[in-house]
Amino acid sequence: MSSAQPDNPEHAAELLAKIAAEQSRAAFSELFRYFAPRLQAYATRQFGNEQTAMDLVQETMTNVWHKAHLFKPDRGSAATWIFTIARNIRFDLLRKNKYRQNDLSADDLWPVLAETNDSLDDDYALDNDLLMQQLAVYCEQLPKAQRTVIELIYIEGKSQQEVADALEIPLGTVKSRTRLALQKLKELIQHDD
Amino acid sequence: MIKFHPSEQHLVLYAAGELSPAMLMMVGTHVDMCPKCQAHVQDIEQHMATKLFGETETASIVHGFDEQAMLQAIFNSQSPAGSAAPAANDSLYLEGQRFALPPTLARNSHRIGEWSRLPGKLWRAPVRVGGEEMLNFIYMGEHASLPEHTHKGNEATLVVNGVFNDEHNEYRDGDFMLLDEHHKHSPATQDHDCLTIAALDGPLHFTTGLSRLLNPFSSLFFK
Repeated sequence: MSSAQPDNPEHAAELLAKIAAEQSRAAFSELFRYFAPRLQAYATRQFGNEQTAMDLVQETMTNVWHKAHLFKPDRGSAATWIFTIARNIRFDLLRKNKYRQNDLSADDLWPVLAETNDSLDDDYALDNDLLMQQLAVYCEQLPKAQRTVIELIYIEGKSQQEVADALEIPLGTVKSRTRLALQKLKELIQHDD
Repeated sequence: MIKFHPSEQHLVLYAAGELSPAMLMMVGTHVDMCPKCQAHVQDIEQHMATKLFGETETASIVHGFDEQAMLQAIFNSQSPAGSAAPAANDSLYLEGQRFALPPTLARNSHRIGEWSRLPGKLWRAPVRVGGEEMLNFIYMGEHASLPEHTHKGNEATLVVNGVFNDEHNEYRDGDFMLLDEHHKHSPATQDHDCLTIAALDGPLHFTTGLSRLLNPFSSLFFK
């Protein structure tokens, strides 16, 4: 066993990555043994009720087990991510008993576990069809030799070698035409705004 | 550039989930719009996590439950259903205009009720979030004004889009202000319209001239 503990942020992030990639039970058990008792101490103070405290621990850690792939290391530490899950579950547990139809749920406020987190945050989530139409217009503006290469690669899905063979030109030429075409497309897109 | 922000305490209570539903929506929307407060909330969450998990004295940690049984239960559990959130609608249409909704409002767009017209180029729609406080969209057309009033409680206002003034300042996109019953103000727009959300925990109280006649009807601005 390595000397690193889950209180080391890098190690905790690695454990989450292992859980996400290979459903590693060993990695999860290690995280669990560190975080669960601390969560339980916190929840017991919060709720003053053993059973509710256990529910919070179990629900939080169940989400950690199944949703480890939603942890984004660039947005914060593993401990912070687990804290935000526990915060959300606590918020909903506190409202469970007096639930009314209009009440906010934690997911409405903090979409920590939303699978679609990225698309909502992404200001540039373009309509795909619109994007393709627009790209087609840009492609029209490329010199014919470059356009042919781009169409064969990106529309017909050929490799650069296959394109070189089909057009009977050197591979290096295919590569340079591709690079020039993409550069030109990038300029066209940037200057269109 | 956002000039008016929620207090540090509001951000802490937001990160902990300990504000009223209406205020959580208000602060959450400001945080969506304000990179500075967004970074601040992340710091606060990190700080809270450190406090929660940084417990080093093992004596104070209860190992009083059957960890092995819970581990097994978790390994045997089904993946919790993804929150089937109603499709987020990030646009709001009003008076022939489209307003982009920040993510917190977009996720809760299904809670926005019917728009109703108030005296003086004002429109209002409730946002149903539960809790004691009322959360409303207030839309002011160009050259609109609300008579001078105080509040029988606190009023938090956030500019979603546009600009309005009162005696004290000019407020633009993302600006967040909190007024209590001691503040009098009369918000107005000039050449620009303004979409705001406002959380009220008591009715408005109009203070001058004929507008006092509105007081019996001030619930129009509340519920």
